[in-house]
Amino acid sequence: MQLQYFLLLAAALFCIGVYGLVTSRNAIRVLMSIELMLNAVNLNLMAFSNYLDPQAIRGQVFTVFVITIAAAEAAVGLAIVLSIYRNRDTVDMEQFNMLKW
Amino acid sequence: MTQFLAETAWLIPLYPIFGMLLSIIWFPSITRRTGPRPAGYVNAITTFLAFMHGVLALPVVLHQPPIHLTFPWLEVAGLNLTIPVEISALTVGAMVLITGLNFLAQIYGVGYLEMDWGWARFYSMLALFEAGMCALVLCDSLFFSYIILEILTLGTYLLIGFWFNQSLVVTGARDAFLTKRVGDLFLLMGVLAIFPLAGTWNFNELAVWAQTANVDPTIATLVGLALLAGPMGKCAQFPLHLWLDEAMEGPFPSTILRNSVVVATGAWIMIKLEPVLALSPVVLNAAIAIGAVSAIGGTLIAIGQIDIKRSFSYLVTAYMGVVFIAIGAQQTEAALLIVFTHALGMAAIVASCGSVVLNNITQDLTQLGGLWKKRPVTGLSFIAGATGLVALPPLGGFWAMLKLVDGLWQTSSWLVGLVLVINALAAFSLTRTFGLIFANKEQPMTVRSPENLWAITLPMTILAGFAIHAPVILLSLGLLPSWAEMSKDVALLLTWSSIFGLSIGWVVYISKYVQKPVRLPSKALQDLFAYDFYTPKLYKSSVVGSVDIISRVTDWFDRYFVDGLVNLVGLSSIFGGETLKYGNSGQTQFYVLTIAFGLVLLALLASWSFLSQLTIGIG
Repeated sequence: MQLQYFLLLAAALFCIGVYGLVTSRNAIRVLMSIELMLNAVNLNLMAFSNYLDPQAIRGQVFTVFVITIAAAEAAVGLAIVLSIYRNRDTVDMEQFNMLKW
Repeated sequence: MTQFLAETAWLIPLYPIFGMLLSIIWFPSITRRTGPRPAGYVNAITTFLAFMHGVLALPVVLHQPPIHLTFPWLEVAGLNLTIPVEISALTVGAMVLITGLNFLAQIYGVGYLEMDWGWARFYSMLALFEAGMCALVLCDSLFFSYIILEILTLGTYLLIGFWFNQSLVVTGARDAFLTKRVGDLFLLMGVLAIFPLAGTWNFNELAVWAQTANVDPTIATLVGLALLAGPMGKCAQFPLHLWLDEAMEGPFPSTILRNSVVVATGAWIMIKLEPVLALSPVVLNAAIAIGAVSAIGGTLIAIGQIDIKRSFSYLVTAYMGVVFIAIGAQQTEAALLIVFTHALGMAAIVASCGSVVLNNITQDLTQLGGLWKKRPVTGLSFIAGATGLVALPPLGGFWAMLKLVDGLWQTSSWLVGLVLVINALAAFSLTRTFGLIFANKEQPMTVRSPENLWAITLPMTILAGFAIHAPVILLSLGLLPSWAEMSKDVALLLTWSSIFGLSIGWVVYISKYVQKPVRLPSKALQDLFAYDFYTPKLYKSSVVGSVDIISRVTDWFDRYFVDGLVNLVGLSSIFGGETLKYGNSGQTQFYVLTIAFGLVLLALLASWSFLSQLTIGIG
């Protein structure tokens, strides 16, 4: 077990998140992809805290904050999606392009 | 008193300038009620004063060396432009001729422009011409002569364009300006090129310089040809002769002045420049060639014309061609004599023709005829001018031609033959014009043709009198070549050539032996002369055509290439903005993708050195 493998796994998870964020047509799946990316970040923080800062474990404290904020963000995100859904009757991201050129 | 007048002869150009300025008062837009006639009277008075000044000064300057005066004009670094003035017998004599002719032309204008309201404009232009020509003969500097010639070119434009609501007048004035301007511009090249060579523009100093000048023959030839080109346009020589034909659209009184003296301004410059031109034999030969072609062509075209004004305007070209031949053969005295006798003779002819045109309306020679019984004075004036022009002893033209031919006799006999042919052709042409106007049957246009008012007839008869008395004037000035020195053979040859031309003309156009209208065997040849060798078409297809095409191409290039290039910058910016705005797709996910790409790109750039080492490590 090495730090690099954790970092590579986190990077892979982040990339999957980015891919899902960019390609998903469903707004809920976009929020889910954001969660994936946040979890990749959390993995990074945990790995660094374990291998580089085992005494103070500041990374783990950061992780707790990130999870908390992520929950709040998901709540707000879902609320936004709901409000858009009420107006436009869809959660298809392709339909939300009113602000083009 | 007369000594004082001689020393102040440089004032003579100022009298007509004063008259010109005074004429402005009677412009129809300024004096609205009382008509423009005082403009004519004022100008006649100022011209008469100038004439009297010259006449009184002439006896004094005849018997004393030339007075040289200088007037400072401009001094800038390295260039000192003072106006040199030469008051000699020649210059004062020329001014007397100019002011005298202009005075008579102005009196003539009083009669001729009776029914015209444009007196102020007309007389101010005549005064400008008179002042310009007097200044030209006084001025002893090539540079200032050039300036005056240019002013006269502008004057020609305005004077020909007098009746500017006629379309032919407008095109004629345009052609006269442009054609003379082309010659003037070549002259300017010569004027500018000669200064570094000679270091002076004064004619006298140029003559001194030319005697010992050691110039590269090519340069001397080029400068000489440029100096030749200016007079070529001024004197209406081939191929710059069309303007004089079209200048016949102007009023008759100005034609008197132009045909007798204005065209001679070029010859005057040439005569003054003769020592410089003589530096290169090529230039002299070119002058002879141009003069010969113009003289032969001019006389032949004159014979082919049916317009009364054009039938003598081409003779002006021809006689100026003879002057060119004289200058080319370095016969400056003969050239001056020809200019003098031509001025008197041609003025009488033009005045006579104007008198005919004024009350027969038509200028068409085929519609005139049978005027001899009704218009004896006009006819006699024509005869006086014509015989004074061709070499018929004992009249003026004979002595001038005799001097020329006598000088040519030694050097080149073929030129003598040429001059004899020109003389015969000119005599034939004049007899033809006379015959078509005065002889034969009356035509509808000439059934009722009274003699004109005194204001027309008096100047005409005075001009005729001067034409007849030209040898007396020459004798009194001591300019008549002595009979003993002249070869009698030459005189006989000249006389015979004139008699030959006159009698052929008599047989063809006055006697009843030949059927009128006369037809040449070849219609094409007759048309060639009648349409003056199709010169307008020649201009149109060569110079005018090429300049037109080039200017169109340049305009197109400017419009579409230069402008287009600049517009392309703006257009491409607009196009860029219009297309790049589609980058803002309005889709949040696309923006995120852009951010992700940007991050990856930045990361790659930041870690480029590390990554490249990594590649080498693998390799």
